[in-house]
This record gives sequence, structure tokens and C-alpha cells, in this order.
Amino acid sequence: MKTVMLGLATALLAMPAVAEQIVGQPAGNFRLTDMDGRNVALSDYKGKTVVLEWHNPGCPFVRKHYDSGNMQRTQAAAVAGGAVWLTINSGAPGKQGHLSLAEAKGQYARDGSKATRYLLDPKGVVGKGYGAKTTPHLYIVDPAGRLVYQGGIDDKATANPADVTGARNHVTAALAELKAGKPVSVAESRPYGCSVKYAES
Amino acid sequence: MRRLLAFLAACFLAAPAAAQLAAQPRHLAIELVAESDSPAPGGEVTLALASKPDPGWHGYWKNPGDAGIETTLAWTLPGGVTAGPLEYPVPHRLVIGGLMNYVYEGPFAQFVRLKLPAGLAPGTRLPIAVKADYLVCTNEICVPESAQLSTVLTVGDGSITPERRAQFDQWRRAMPKPLGSAATFAVEGGKMRIGVPWPADQAADGPYFYPLTDGAIAYAAPQTVGRAGDTLVIETQGGGKVPGEVEGVLALDNGRGFEVRAVPGAVPAAAAQAALDWRAVLVAFAGAVLGGLILNVMPCVFPILSLKALGLARAGGDERAARGEALAYSAGVIAVCLALGGILLGLRAGGATVGWAFQLQDPRVIFVLLLLVTAIAFNLAGLFELSAPGAVNRLAAGGKGGAFMTGALAAFVATPCTGPFMAAALGAALVLPTAAALTIFAGLGLGLALPFLAIGFVPALRRRLPKPGPWMATLRHILSVPMFLTALALAWVLGRQAGVDGLVLGLGAVLVAALALWWTGTRQAKGRGLAWAPAAAGIVLALGGMLLVERKPAAATEVAALGAKPFSEDALQSLRAGNKPVFAYFTADWCVTCKVNEKAAIETATVADAFERGGVEVLVGDWTDGDPALGRFIERHNRAGVPLYLWYAPGAAEPRVLPQVLTPAMLAELPTRTGVGG
Repeated sequence: MKTVMLGLATALLAMPAVAEQIVGQPAGNFRLTDMDGRNVALSDYKGKTVVLEWHNPGCPFVRKHYDSGNMQRTQAAAVAGGAVWLTINSGAPGKQGHLSLAEAKGQYARDGSKATRYLLDPKGVVGKGYGAKTTPHLYIVDPAGRLVYQGGIDDKATANPADVTGARNHVTAALAELKAGKPVSVAESRPYGCSVKYAES
Repeated sequence: MRRLLAFLAACFLAAPAAAQLAAQPRHLAIELVAESDSPAPGGEVTLALASKPDPGWHGYWKNPGDAGIETTLAWTLPGGVTAGPLEYPVPHRLVIGGLMNYVYEGPFAQFVRLKLPAGLAPGTRLPIAVKADYLVCTNEICVPESAQLSTVLTVGDGSITPERRAQFDQWRRAMPKPLGSAATFAVEGGKMRIGVPWPADQAADGPYFYPLTDGAIAYAAPQTVGRAGDTLVIETQGGGKVPGEVEGVLALDNGRGFEVRAVPGAVPAAAAQAALDWRAVLVAFAGAVLGGLILNVMPCVFPILSLKALGLARAGGDERAARGEALAYSAGVIAVCLALGGILLGLRAGGATVGWAFQLQDPRVIFVLLLLVTAIAFNLAGLFELSAPGAVNRLAAGGKGGAFMTGALAAFVATPCTGPFMAAALGAALVLPTAAALTIFAGLGLGLALPFLAIGFVPALRRRLPKPGPWMATLRHILSVPMFLTALALAWVLGRQAGVDGLVLGLGAVLVAALALWWTGTRQAKGRGLAWAPAAAGIVLALGGMLLVERKPAAATEVAALGAKPFSEDALQSLRAGNKPVFAYFTADWCVTCKVNEKAAIETATVADAFERGGVEVLVGDWTDGDPALGRFIERHNRAGVPLYLWYAPGAAEPRVLPQVLTPAMLAELPTRTGVGG
């Protein structure tokens, strides 16, 4: 059954295999299985702002933002503001950071994640479709389904948790601007972190 | 204090990765080395971060690619001492899971230049400390590391030990050199095209553009590189942004790198673009088939073909046998053409730094061609015989299996004829990619086999074949005339390249070879054994002349109109000690601006006259291979590398650095302005 769903996820993906999403254009739809085994599609959240976060629990740059509490704070603020937060793991089986459903549940609990859903993309189809290159790598889709931000979580490209203070959190800033009905001032930034551990094709 | 420690401990406990980091040995060993331990006040000293990743680990370039981060440095320096930016050597590419990484997988060294304030007392201790934060990864995992590095320098005379100098020079070779000419870029339909000035006659093997400007190109997308005159055209998928300028490093297979800065502008269409390329290959293929067809009436092939064809005609009505033999013959011809082409391509690969055109400019190649063409001409004229037809007779009788061998032989015997007549097509083949080049060689074979294929498949043709007879000998003698004319043309080229001495040497060698072949011819006519002995001896002797012809022309073509001598700091010192005006220029074969200046200004009659009258000595430094000693001298006067033009007036303490774009008038007035002109 699960393989059928994964197959469906691949088939439903309305975008070429390797592509990038363009800010201002409709974000590509996808369907993935979450850590509870439920099907989750981007189109389920039409009318809501959606944040996508690429995740690898073993990556030091991801740890910087989880162990400092920065990522959870950003998630909590986003959800409190009415947005949906989807964390996506595109790590291939056998690669660093790949999680099974059960492992994902454990990791989610240990990190105290505030994400709405934790999605698994072991074939990397959605990751590649979005051009996700690093962990973390963040995207924001507005209620109309258009991509309004892609890039890093902030502007301090280091692995040092002390650099969280004083950095500009691009996601928090973009969500605030969206809420205020203003255009997103920084709509793209260079993502930084570990490479997404895709399967060798 | 204790509370702070507790807080720090908590941070580390909460950060397993960081805790691991503290407990484990680092995966990248870094050593801070100063080129001079006793730098001079007011001067500069180069520091190296000599790094060695563990096996399987890699460090990152300034632009890490799709993921990763660059190295950051935090300096603790004595007052007045300042550190320049971190300079990176040329990286290499590592694609993991479809993502591009620009990395160093082996030992590498990054440079930082420290500037010392003037007025420091000799003997002053300068403690230098730096905290380096960097990322080191395997294909699987990444670890951010931090290293505290320090060294102590003592203000002195700036002396450098020979070992240190050699070590730094080795590292310097891996540093990209400033290209010296501005590049352009254009974004069209999501494609980024960058035009890098690069001389048309310079090889550029395995070029790759490492972008420093983020978002200019899609890192993992393949790059295609074509040539358009003096421009190397790099084409790849754009990165979604249109930057104001594109910076990066153009790297070649030999590990050399060039700093490129491109501004928006026109980028010429590459001559070797994929679509255009195949059209050119098709044209060359058609030319090769036609050339092969013409080769059939070449006297060295015609006898073989006619013997074989008559053999088929004799066989009469057996269609299947005729077709089978025609196909076998064609296979033999094409196989030999491909094999010869493969050998030629192999030679090209072996001498990758030398282009085909360059070889033809070598008088030694002309010398050998002259001998070969003359020998063929004398053969056609009937001075001597090649023993090939005898062997062919035997093979022609053999029928089916022999057909392949006959074809092979025909192709092989045809090669000397191929030289002068097919030079253009084969020359084109040698600059094409291997597959395309082999297609052309196969085309040549196909053309050569075509008449025989026709004879094999069309019985009517077989019945119409002319009978071999005395007319063939006459035709052969007539065909020696164009061959002799070819030899005459080659002699002229040799004279142009190697001067009168080289020309006489070449003609002398031709005379020796001709006499020897004549002797062989007489022995053949009398039916003596060992008829080829005199010819072999004569040809060896004649070819020996090639060794004499090499040196002189090389010097004759290299020396510019000004009688320039190779630059060295010693040469410069001794000339200046003699109170002579000196014009020193620094050039490289890959520098287009340099070549333009040389042609348009330096090597003109106006300048030659003015320098002659002014008694100006000219020194030329060739930085083509990035010689570090020359590099240091160039850098002292101009950070931007070549071109660099220096004018040392007699008695002046410092040279005048001339502009990077020269005019003949600007150079011609140099001796007069300093009052040495006559």
C-alpha cells in the first residue's frame, strides 16, 4: 500500500524531475506520506500560507537551528500566525539523515518540533522538483499557491549557534510582510548548509 | 564565571554535533606558514594556510557550489598590521546526488597577505593569531570545524629561505592568474553565455568555468565550451538571476586557472556549437568521401584497384562472390583509414599542448613532407618502383579473404598521396572531437572504396573496365608533374620558415634521397637483390638533415623585431648597471591583449627604428607556464598580471609602468623623452 502511495506521489507531481521553482510563479504541487502514514498534498492547504523546510537531523547546520531553539521558535510563530509548516526529509535510504516513519516520529519528538507535518521524500522527487540543495532550505507559498520566498533561514551562513542572535531571519520577516499585505522584501537568498543527501541517480 | 561555564556546557550538551567536534580529532589539518619569518617593515608577507583533508574528506572553495560554506577568518594582529582577503587555489568538481560541490580533496594552500606598517623597529616581535571556521565533508556527512592558528614573526629584512620559497612557489602554481583581458557575458533565454578572451591558436583542454558570483549559473548544469576566433565561449544554464557582472575562475585540465571578470556585452557565437558542429562534420565528411574518390585515380592506388577490378571481371557472373569481395575490400580500406586516423588522434592526445596548426608551422614537418613528396614524384616519374604491386598480384589471386587485405593495402599505399591532397580535411579532423574526427577518416575510406563497391554491385560497370596497358605508365608519368610542383611549394615554405640555410639544407637532403632512389631504380631494373639498400641509407641520411634544421628557425621565429632577450632579474640588473635604457615586457600565449599589443605596437618598424636609434635594450618575460619567479616580479609592479610594460630610463631608480594598451608612437617617444635619443 505504501509503495502505491509513493508511486502516486511521483505521478501527482506536477513538475519536471529536475527543476527549480520560480518566485512569483505557482509552486509545484506534490503529495507525500507523513510520519503518521497519512497522505499530505500541498493543494490540501490552498488558502493558507505554507512554509516548506528541508531537514536532515544529522546535519550540523540543521542542528545549529534546532539545538539553539531557533527553528522551533520560527515554526511556532508561523503556526500561531495561521501558516502551515511542512518539514520535508529528502534523504535517500542508506544516506545520512534518512529516517523511517518510526524514526521520524522519534526525531520530531526529541527536537520538540512545532512543524505541522513531517514528510518523507526518500526518492528525492519533491526535493529535486523544488531544487532543494541544502539542509536547511526554506520555501514559502502564499495562500494563492504562489512561491514568495526561497533560500536560507537567515543571513548568517555559519554552523555556529551563537550566530542566531543578530541574524536576519528571512522566514519570520517574509511571513510578517505577507500578513501585513506587503510584498516580500527579500524573496530569495542563498541557502546554506549540508547538501541534501539524494540518491545517486 | 562558573555560571557562564555551566551555560556553555549546557550548549554543548544540547548540541551533539558540536560536542562530537570537540571530542574528535579534526578532519582537516591546517598549518599556518609565513613565507618570510622576518618580514620587512612597510612590506608585505604572504601567509599560507596549508591544509590537508583526511582521505575521503574535502574542504571547500570560496564558492562552495550548491551546498557548503566558505572559510571565514578572525584575525588577532599587532597594531598597524592588516590582513588581505583569503586567496583560494583552483578547486575541482565533485557531484554528489546531482548537487555540485567545488572542493579540494587533496592537500591545498590558501594565501593571505599581511601588510606591515612602515617604521617598525627591526627585531620587533609580531604575534599573529587567526581563528579559521570552515566546513569539511565526506560524500555523506559534513562537519563544521574551527582551528586556532598562530605564528610569531620578527620584523627584519624580508629574507626568505630557499626551502620556504620553493614550497610557496609550488603552492603559487595552483593559484589562478589574472587573465589580463576583460570578458563579456550575455543571458539569453535562461542560458548564460560567457565570452573569455583566449588566443585562437592556444589550446584550451577541458575548460570549466568556476563561478564566484552566486546565482549567475546553475552549478550542476553541464557547460559547453566553443571557440570563436580569439574567444572561448562558455555556455550553460543560467542561475535564474541576471547579475551586474560575473566573476569566476576558468580552469583547464592541466590545473591552471585564470581569474575572469565578465561584464554585460556581446558574446560571439561559438564556431564549434553542437548544431553547427555536426553540420561542419557533415561537410567535412562529404569532402572526405570526395577526396577518397579522387584518391582512386592517384597513381599509387590505381594499379591496385585495376588489378583487383580485372580479377572480379574475370570471375564473371557470380554476383554474390563479387558483392562479397567488394564489401570485404571496403571493410579493409575503412579499417586501415580508421586505424591511421586513430594513431593520428592518439599522437594529438599525447602532445595535447601543441595544436595541429602549430605542427605545420614547424620547419621539420615541412622538411619531412618535402622529402616524402619528392620521393613520390620520382616514383611516379619512373625513377624507381615500389614493390607493392607484386604483393598485390599475389593477394589479388587469393579472392575472397584476400579482398580485405587488398583494401587495407590500397588504403595504406594511398596515405602518402593523402598528405598533400587531403591536408585540409585531415587538419580539420584533427581539431574535432574524437568521434567526429573518426567519422571523417571513415569517410575517406568509404570514398576510396566507392568505385570498387560500384564495380562489385553493378555488373555493367565490370564489363566496361578499360584494359590495363601502356597508357597507365604514361598517365603515371604525367601525374608526377603536380607532385613535383607540390615539392616546389613545400621548398618555398621551408625557405620562408628556416631561411636560405634551411632551404639549402632541405634541397641537399632531397638531392641525397633522389640519388639514392635512382641507384635503387637501376638495381631494380637489372633485377639485383637488395635493391632497396642504397635508398634506405640515402633516406636515413636525408632525414638526418632534419636534426640540423630545427634550432635555427626556432630562434629566428621567436626573436621579435627588436632583438628581445629573455627576461631575468640578473639580465635586467646588468643592463641597468651598464646605464642602458631598458624596455621590459611581459606576455603569455594565453593573453589576447598581450598579443594585440605586440602585433600593433611593439613589433612595428616605427618602434624598431626608435629603439635602434636610442640604443634601447629589450627584455621579454614569457609567463605562459606561470613561472613563479617571473610571477613575483610581475606582481611587484602590477597586481593584474600580464600584460605588463616597464620602461627603465638610464639612471632612474624606478621603472615607469606603461599603460596596458600601447601605441607605436607611445613607445617610439620613450628614448627621446629621456634624452638618450640620437
